[in-house]
Amino acid sequence: MAAQVAASRGFGLGRPGWRAKREVVRTVFLARIKIITRYKGAILMEALLPIVFAAMPVLLGITVAAQQGGGADPGDLFCAKTKINNLCTTNFKLYMLLGAATFTVVSLMLWLIGYWVRREQETGTLESLYLAPVRRIWVLAGVTSYAFLRAMIAFVIAIALGSLLFQVNPFNSGMGLAIVFLAIGFLPLWGLAFMFGAFIMKIKEADSVIQVLQWILAFLMGVFYPITLLPGYMQAVAGTFPPTVMTDGVRASILNISFIYQSAYGSLAVLCAMALVVPLLGYQVFEVTERRLRRKEGVGHY
Amino acid sequence: MDAIIRVENLSKTFHTKERKKGEKKKKRVVQALKDVNLDVFVGENFGLLGPNGAGKTTLIKCLTTLLLPTSGTAWVNGFNIEEQEDSVRASLGCMLMGERGLYWKLTGRENLDYFGALYHVPRDVRAKRIDFLIDLLKLEEFAHRTVETFSSGQKMLLAFAKALINDAPILFFDEPTVTMDVPTARELRRIVRALNKEEGKTIVYTTHLMHEAEELCDRVAIIDRGEIIALGTPNALKASLVREDIVKMEGILPASVVGKIRSIPGVREVTVQAAPDGRASLAVMCENSRHLLPRIIEAATGNGASIEYIKPQDVTLEDVFITRTGRSLAVDTREVVKEGAGGGTGRG
Repeated sequence: MAAQVAASRGFGLGRPGWRAKREVVRTVFLARIKIITRYKGAILMEALLPIVFAAMPVLLGITVAAQQGGGADPGDLFCAKTKINNLCTTNFKLYMLLGAATFTVVSLMLWLIGYWVRREQETGTLESLYLAPVRRIWVLAGVTSYAFLRAMIAFVIAIALGSLLFQVNPFNSGMGLAIVFLAIGFLPLWGLAFMFGAFIMKIKEADSVIQVLQWILAFLMGVFYPITLLPGYMQAVAGTFPPTVMTDGVRASILNISFIYQSAYGSLAVLCAMALVVPLLGYQVFEVTERRLRRKEGVGHY
Repeated sequence: MDAIIRVENLSKTFHTKERKKGEKKKKRVVQALKDVNLDVFVGENFGLLGPNGAGKTTLIKCLTTLLLPTSGTAWVNGFNIEEQEDSVRASLGCMLMGERGLYWKLTGRENLDYFGALYHVPRDVRAKRIDFLIDLLKLEEFAHRTVETFSSGQKMLLAFAKALINDAPILFFDEPTVTMDVPTARELRRIVRALNKEEGKTIVYTTHLMHEAEELCDRVAIIDRGEIIALGTPNALKASLVREDIVKMEGILPASVVGKIRSIPGVREVTVQAAPDGRASLAVMCENSRHLLPRIIEAATGNGASIEYIKPQDVTLEDVFITRTGRSLAVDTREVVKEGAGGGTGRG
């Protein structure tokens, strides 16, 4: 049985074409940009964070090296402790800066989605989104594109300012490969962001979860150290975590040190596999979660 | 007539947890909707009335696909709410959350553009539609400002405009005039009437304001404890009570007065609404108010009542509700069907 179809039909009936979908992504993306630019200074402030974040271990390393006496060079000490396959770097400042900047990228990608879901729930706009005939994947694509741009702005500013401040030079022949790692690494990050968004939508809490996960994430990614320093089982876990492979790839490319999966090709192959699987898995998790919520109290319940 | 919305045996159950001070957490099963059956016809302005917690919003959320029903189903514009969700959504324009559901850091115009894109309204059509809505709802003065600077009534007007952005054949309005001043609310009702009568939109209008429902709606369903207890045109529903008169009384009325009035032969029902200042108002439903009025006054004053106002009144939709349920619309009627100690899943 079905009720009679009305003579008048609203917009959005029928299958929207690519132009309509692209328009959704564009509109959501531009709206997010407009909103963030109305919070004065937000983008610049978050770009300074990785510099502060990297400065802490850099200064700690210099202090520890000075205490060793005998004119120990902090770079040599760092190289000795982090040598893998007879490869290491003495440029510990750039090592820290790249780790902190990549961590900011990962952090922004994940947390922006989490905060976005929570904020939309609280303000009622999430229900407004669910009242529209648009598929969630296109809205999420708009939001993640925005998160990507914001993360890239923070990364570039942090690397540029950090390089001046720490007097390091990240521009060498490995820069191209590092950008490839960064670009491919964004795809599994999208998937993780979808999963994280679903989790926040379900538990209806963002702040405390982000506070905890932030440090777990930093720990597993090896922001300031190679994960080979971790116990074996933790290395196994960290190695399957896309941000770890991404960070490692960016750093190994520029600093010419060992890759987590032996070679640049090995690491790239693993990251590509993650780029294929994780976004699909993430969106599936998001869809299952939203359907369960609609079966219970509704996605907008806050 | 053709049904544009058909609801068949729709039920919705929520599992909740409740913790009272000093007590263990209890899980509750709340039956928000019980086997609701309903047809809304093409071009109809249909009212949903009921007190808080009666199930109105749950029914609307099921019909707009925000909630999935526990059992039963419904069709909106010919599309099933569970299997053809996007087509159902494309058929609807909704204002369900009052002034919520807007982006406060975007301007009024930007909000309309954003939601227009989500409804796949083409960009050039969207721009014209936004201009039309800004003109229709007189939003020119503030549409260029960010929503955070709007008054509550202005936000409501923008939320109303948002519901019209996709020019949908079916419109859902959940208490749209609730924070508006009197002239704005009157203007909005005029627009709702015009959308219905001149543009042929089917409207589902939820309100607890009886005069709104009587003024706007072709038919109303009175919903209570998740069930539809009365359905018909406002006049037909009121006519069902014409055998009865209603006497409204206000003042300081001791509790014993209710029992005394209830015991008068010919009095069918007495409902009480207490005010915080110690005053109360009574609605006495009786067969012949002229004949019984002296006895009602005597029963009240003889039991210590101080009457400030008493008058036989016309039957309203609220009286229909009171007659059917024995309660006032002001009472929260969320129904708990099962209670038990311990945990369990549910909404917090």
